[in-house]
Amino acid sequence: MKSEILTGKKMPFCPGCGHGVVVNNISKALSELGYNPLDIIIVSDIGCSGLVDPLFATHTVHGLHGRAPALGLGVAMGLNDRSKKVIVIQGDGGATIGLQHLLEAARRNIDITLLVFNNLLYGMTGGQISGLSTDKFKEMRQVEEGIPPFDIVKLAHQAGAMSSARVLSPVNFTESIKHAVETPGFSLLELASVCPSYGLQKIKELDEFSQEADALLNNRKVNEVNYRTTTSLLNFVKEIPILYPTKIEDNYRILLAGSAGGGIQLAAELLAKAGMYAGLHATMKGEYPVTVGTGFSVAEVILSKNHINYTGLDAPDVIFVMTEDGLEKVQKYLNNGTSVYADDIVNFECQTKITKPFSRKVGKRSAILSAIAYWIEENDIIPINAFIEAIKPHKHSELLIKAIETPI
Amino acid sequence: METQKSKMALTDASLLITEACVKAGADAFIGYPITPSNKFYSYGSLRFPLFLAGPDEITVLQWMSGLSAAGKLPVTSTAFPGLALMAETFNMAYMMELPMLVIVTQRLGPSTGSATTGAQGDLSFINGLISGGFPIPVFCPSNFEDAWTLAEESIKTSVNLRTPVILLTSKEMVMTQKSFDLTKLHDIKPVDRTPKNIKLPYKTYFADETLVPPFIPVANNKHLVRLNSSTHDDEGMIQKNSPNALANTKRLKDKIENSIDKYLFYELDNESTNEHLIVTYGISAGACRDAVKELRKNNVKVSLLVVKTILPVAPKIISIIESYNNIYFVEENIGGQYKEIIFGKQHKSNVYQVNKMGHMINPDDVIKAFNL
Repeated sequence: MKSEILTGKKMPFCPGCGHGVVVNNISKALSELGYNPLDIIIVSDIGCSGLVDPLFATHTVHGLHGRAPALGLGVAMGLNDRSKKVIVIQGDGGATIGLQHLLEAARRNIDITLLVFNNLLYGMTGGQISGLSTDKFKEMRQVEEGIPPFDIVKLAHQAGAMSSARVLSPVNFTESIKHAVETPGFSLLELASVCPSYGLQKIKELDEFSQEADALLNNRKVNEVNYRTTTSLLNFVKEIPILYPTKIEDNYRILLAGSAGGGIQLAAELLAKAGMYAGLHATMKGEYPVTVGTGFSVAEVILSKNHINYTGLDAPDVIFVMTEDGLEKVQKYLNNGTSVYADDIVNFECQTKITKPFSRKVGKRSAILSAIAYWIEENDIIPINAFIEAIKPHKHSELLIKAIETPI
Repeated sequence: METQKSKMALTDASLLITEACVKAGADAFIGYPITPSNKFYSYGSLRFPLFLAGPDEITVLQWMSGLSAAGKLPVTSTAFPGLALMAETFNMAYMMELPMLVIVTQRLGPSTGSATTGAQGDLSFINGLISGGFPIPVFCPSNFEDAWTLAEESIKTSVNLRTPVILLTSKEMVMTQKSFDLTKLHDIKPVDRTPKNIKLPYKTYFADETLVPPFIPVANNKHLVRLNSSTHDDEGMIQKNSPNALANTKRLKDKIENSIDKYLFYELDNESTNEHLIVTYGISAGACRDAVKELRKNNVKVSLLVVKTILPVAPKIISIIESYNNIYFVEENIGGQYKEIIFGKQHKSNVYQVNKMGHMINPDDVIKAFNL
């Protein structure tokens, strides 16, 4: 029978399939709740339950196997409009492959309704068992797997669903669907269905082969997404004017090597900015283990009179070695005539190294700044004031400037 | 005309891309952390009107599809492992014709590879991402100016062609801080999303000669919208292989390929002769620019083509490449993926490759190919 919610198209299901019963009950429930079809968005999954789209006169979105709860949640978050109702339909196979999406939707508790048509099997592909197939059903099918089904009603409840229920008798479908749709937040309703082609033939078998009927409630805040007003990221990008001269006519490639927590990355950034205050182009990039809080920390800085196209650093002009961790990473560049400035806590042979007690004078965290300052003053590459200018905006600038002004 | 005073700053391409996306009209960032794409996540969490932390990459792209269906313009960033998980949903969004942007930051593979080592190894995967060999618009920035411009174009192309778009970057592009003149950033206006030429009754996938159906968000009060990931007709109704549905599917290819000149970006530094052409893209472009300067100092007549709309391959790009006697493909992967997309596996005596894995290609690597 055609209703406002349905298009009146012929059901695409096998004769006797339980899914048609569920579809008619959805239509009845939505009609009784007074919904306009264009206020409903049916989001369907893959499988026999995913054939419902043409039946509904509502908006429809037909997605992927198991992903419909995530897709429906995305639609609801995009609309952010409680006058619109997203109803997601999937089968027990979809609930199995996409269990994470079901749990995530329950956890988020955004206002959507998930209807799971559970016929205990994959009907579209030949009747294979699903993660929701019960032991008893599998015995009947002579599949002795010995692994119990997921109880998605309890799982959804535990994940935070406002309402989650399993209904076995079609006489209760309409009222159960109405309750699920009216419940604000995430509601899950598992509806028992027969599959005459591969599974249960009769509705009266549902009680025997299904998990028990259940109905669970949580009392939680219904979540909505927050669309904010933000400001341009460029507002946080500080302009660096040219304030100082430089003696660099070509380019200078600098390698800083130390350990995590030793301020290597910060020092590299400050050095790059110092170069810019002296009118140079600069690049800075860091390298460190994926576990950023331990192990080596290496940074590359290029200062150049000209625009920098290639940002790699193959042959450094100067290397700072602050710790054993750092030494290991830059070993291949040593003894090539490259200038090396090293903390005296690091023991290694290198004919071109200058060793100073940087960390013992200013502490491990500031040692690299002290070493850079020593190098700048010794070589007159850029004015030391350019380096101080770069440090000034830092929240611990006084401490950092004190470190570079400490005589070594 | 007055010359505007430069405004130098130390910044990175992640920031510029994020800002350009929002200015162009993107309004949601859905993130799942993955190195080396995490700066996008950080900037996205600060800048986009909506920021959501997804529980996995599949969910991220599903949420984005839902948001896009509802009229939002979502963006995410990932690297190969995440992109691999997104592959099925990317196909779905492509079939549903949902505007969105996926930023891919390339890192060394295969598999999880080395998360903090740069690479240009994902082009072949992206070229074959859509089942059936359908094209995706893929932009590839070669410097910070490109990062700004191509992020804007990515967003606008996704709307104008009603399709997911990929912005293909690399660790070295988005994690390197660089001095940059902010006055080089042109003003970006939000993309116009007003649906045009709606023929009534509205059919979700009915398109005029532009081949792009007007986009109306799901749940609107006037027009019924049917979005469909499976083969469907112009109403969005699932079909097996009806003529209407197959024509609708073929349209997906045609709408992207036929309009390539509207979103084609490249840089051709042309020498006076057609003797040598270096073809490159993305992070290898910097080394090539330096190499070209050195080669010209040595009287080598060499031209440089930096391809920025890397996919689909535009006929214009082919015609430029074919007009040179010797062609050098420079890309940071072991097989020469872009070369293979252009010329296949066939050996050509006038086509040379400069490839490297695990380290950036440097200017000397390029110069060596010329056997000076």
